[in-house]
Amino acid sequence: MKLTSREQLAAWLDALMERATVIAPRQVECGGGSGTHLLLYQPVASSAEVVFDFQRTAMSPKGYFLPSTEVLFEIEKRSNEVTLDEALPQDEQVLFAIRPCDARGLRVLDALLVEHEPADAYYAQRRRNTTLVGLACPHLWPECFCTAIGGAPDDSADVDIMLYEVDGGYLVSEITEKGTALLAGLNAEETDQPAPVSDRSGPSVPVLAPEAWPALFNELYWARLSDRCLSCHACTYVCPTCRCFDVRDYTRAAGPNGIHIERLRSWDSCMAAAYRRIAGGHNPRPSKMHRLRNRYYCKFNYCPQDFGAVACVGCGRCIAVCPVGIDITEMLGEVAALAATLEERGKGKG
Amino acid sequence: MSESIQTALRTRARELLELGEVSCVIGYERSPRGRVRPAFIYEPADADRLVWDNTCHHNLMVYLHDRKTPPRRGEEVPRVAVVAKPCDVRALNVLLHEGQIAREKVFVIGVACAGMCEEGTEELQARCRRCRERVPIFYDALVGEPPKVTAVDEDWADVVELEGMSAAERLAFWTREFDRCIRCYACRQACPGCYCFECMAEQVDPLWVGIAIELPEKAFFHVMRAYHLAGRCVECNACELACPMHIPLSLLNRKIAKEVEALFGYRAGGDPQTPPPLATFRKDEELPL
Ligand code: SF4
Ligand code: SF4
Ligand code: SF4
Ligand code: SF4
Ligand code: SF4
Repeated sequence: MKLTSREQLAAWLDALMERATVIAPRQVECGGGSGTHLLLYQPVASSAEVVFDFQRTAMSPKGYFLPSTEVLFEIEKRSNEVTLDEALPQDEQVLFAIRPCDARGLRVLDALLVEHEPADAYYAQRRRNTTLVGLACPHLWPECFCTAIGGAPDDSADVDIMLYEVDGGYLVSEITEKGTALLAGLNAEETDQPAPVSDRSGPSVPVLAPEAWPALFNELYWARLSDRCLSCHACTYVCPTCRCFDVRDYTRAAGPNGIHIERLRSWDSCMAAAYRRIAGGHNPRPSKMHRLRNRYYCKFNYCPQDFGAVACVGCGRCIAVCPVGIDITEMLGEVAALAATLEERGKGKG
Repeated sequence: MSESIQTALRTRARELLELGEVSCVIGYERSPRGRVRPAFIYEPADADRLVWDNTCHHNLMVYLHDRKTPPRRGEEVPRVAVVAKPCDVRALNVLLHEGQIAREKVFVIGVACAGMCEEGTEELQARCRRCRERVPIFYDALVGEPPKVTAVDEDWADVVELEGMSAAERLAFWTREFDRCIRCYACRQACPGCYCFECMAEQVDPLWVGIAIELPEKAFFHVMRAYHLAGRCVECNACELACPMHIPLSLLNRKIAKEVEALFGYRAGGDPQTPPPLATFRKDEELPL
């Protein structure tokens, strides 16, 4: 373990920026000077822009691995010659001050996008090119429930370097070799001070086992829960583990000299009405009940069964962002109660 | 005041459900985290979940679109009751003029409104400081007394400020704002006026705008949406309040509302008798264009 000061950490970051893109929490002014602001992970040009003391960013950092828009490849056709250019991302990135839940979110995405064939080459490449510098949370913030999903505010399992804020600076823990390599140049002293243990107390949120969900699929509960849902994309776009996308080809130029086509991938959301619309106009998920239910089943039933990972890390962002107060922890509590009631009723019959 | 409105709302909701007048009452409730959110009450016994205070800002008219068709083919469209502030009723008025909602299928519980506050403060929202209505233009039942309003803010100060900028400054302003947009469509989905089966932002044939979540697509979406709300936006601010990226959408919509008012002397949904200008055709009309 090493001990360093904030100034030394900042100097190290500034030096890093010379050779890699550093992405860190940054304050963004909103509304043309109306005084509101948002905290977002963004590329920074100087450590002066980095916000070290924060709770949670408005968006998860998933966009630096699965960008909201990316060109997958380009096709040029000239007379009889066709070329295809795959645009694999090359840049080295450092994600500074990633929270344990968001890092765990990347582990979930790995299970779905890398460990499962066919692997997503673009995502995988960005994962390889990125070093994660974690920053422990001293405790859970409002809406957080990572501990209910098996995470912890000081969980260092999914980062390359872990930082803990202590008196006089930060304790630096090297977790992986990649992390150790990145730390070269950091001014720090060796210490045998142990890492502080974060306060893990948080809301008790019961999470039903994956196999218990199918029995609840046809309950009226889902229609009632989704009554207030607006079918927007907000909860899925802020979520560190939602990963749906759309792919389309666009002709960028066409003329007598040839044609230039781009294959584009952009985020999409299962909460959108058109998401499941198929040829002929049929929609197997026609109502917002179908869609909201799908989001939760995807997280707690389908993903665990198909990929071995619950696709929620308890970051609380979907709760904070929902314009109409739909709350995943409330849902989990109600679903657990519903399952218990059904089981009771089943016993009564038996 | 809030408290007596709340009691009256609960009583009215319970009655309507007990008498079978409506299948559901759409109002507001408090979430376990203490924030007000839309509520759907189906049982008389649940009427006491309804609340009223100066944070009931959602425009519940948006939910009437979910109830335009019967739950199962061949059944009747169920009648619902909805709690409506004066601005919300103007939105309903727009929808009635557009033939979206059958008036007899909605029981309007109008609320006399003293204004909604900015989140976490006791300060009135800017749009509420400008509001001239305070009592809905129509309703089936009215709850609350018309509040005493002493001063009303000048209507277009913020828009005039924007108009005062040079074109380059305005472009820079909106570029910065739209850049943050994530195309989550929360604004559109929260808006009672945006009910297209297929929004032009997602239409494939014809293709107006691609799927990229980039500045040109975002700017196109916002400008087109503002145009589609011309003479229809009632300034309920549901869009802006739903936006997770704090984009000042109301400024854009108000700029157009100002033009519509200047050209046609019309405020969206302001009067039950006057149809919206963009849905009106008059042979003898001459506009200073
Ligand atoms: S579902 Fe909600 S709480 Fe869970 S990881 Fe996604 S945004 Fe966070
Ligand atoms: S749950 Fe909330 S954030 Fe998610 S789609 Fe519905 S209204 Fe939007
Ligand atoms: S555009 Fe915004 S302010 Fe206007 S009616 Fe729609 S939601 Fe309300
Ligand atoms: S933006 Fe225009 S096309 Fe899209 S839903 Fe609104 S009114 Fe319809
Ligand atoms: S709600 Fe905000 S972020 Fe979402 S599409 Fe509308 S303006 Fe963009």
